[in-house]
Amino acid sequence: MSHWMFNCKEVSRRVSESMDHRLPLYQRMLIRMHLLMCKYCTRFRRQLLLMREYSRSPQMAEDFLDPTVVLPPDARERIRQALKSSSS
Amino acid sequence: MTQITEEISSADPNLDPETWVDRYGDYLYRFALARIKDQSVAEDLVQETFLAALHGRKSFKGRSAVKTWLSAILKHKIVDYLRKKNRERAIDDIDTVTETVDGFFHNNGSWKIRPVKWDHNPSKVYEQREFMDTFFKCLAELPGRLSKVFMLREMQGYSTKEICNALQVSATNSWVMLHRARIFLRRCLETFWFNNIKEENR
Repeated sequence: MSHWMFNCKEVSRRVSESMDHRLPLYQRMLIRMHLLMCKYCTRFRRQLLLMREYSRSPQMAEDFLDPTVVLPPDARERIRQALKSSSS
Repeated sequence: MTQITEEISSADPNLDPETWVDRYGDYLYRFALARIKDQSVAEDLVQETFLAALHGRKSFKGRSAVKTWLSAILKHKIVDYLRKKNRERAIDDIDTVTETVDGFFHNNGSWKIRPVKWDHNPSKVYEQREFMDTFFKCLAELPGRLSKVFMLREMQGYSTKEICNALQVSATNSWVMLHRARIFLRRCLETFWFNNIKEENR
């Protein structure tokens, strides 16, 4: 691979970075060129995006929670007391 | 560090802690119990969450619902708890993690540990409770600072600018931390979830 091209290590770093801010145009072009030729980095990028999708999925919040589970009354009372004594 | 975890926000200006237990106690307990599977630990984590929220509520700025804010605090507590539990049976992994980022690549920068294809239907994956268990366990495998950064960015959707301000790190530093967190979390999920799925499907 030519010296002016990114290697996989550089691409993995920049692919991650591109999820956090906009990269300069030339970097985006170099990444794209690399991704066209490299299935591992393409895979890596897709999986990072999937991880973001999982992290933000409604399932992550709701998690198919069992609605019959409730905070036991004694714990509820204990927590209420703890909050009260901590806020006073 | 803890500040930002506890700071998010609500459209509700009346953040009355007195009502929290009744309004959100069951939900938080369910969430904690689903992850931890131990009633008394789940109760303790809910209590810690409320107390942390109580102390952090002044910085709560109305960016999300109270419930979202509280569950974000709880998620951090869960990961911290899981990490402590890991430490009881293993040596501290901070150094190994920071040192082995290079271990993913050969000296010429090509992949040494190549990303494996994740054979699955993405929409089905997070419907599975076990997947969420693995996700949280893998977060707990990361050093504390890395899992915090990842959760703030990916779960809570903070911008890196906000994260930099809160954690007092440079932008470059935050990108390095996020890259590290992502590469290790990805590998952990691959090892403990996607590989197992493959085995089962064979």
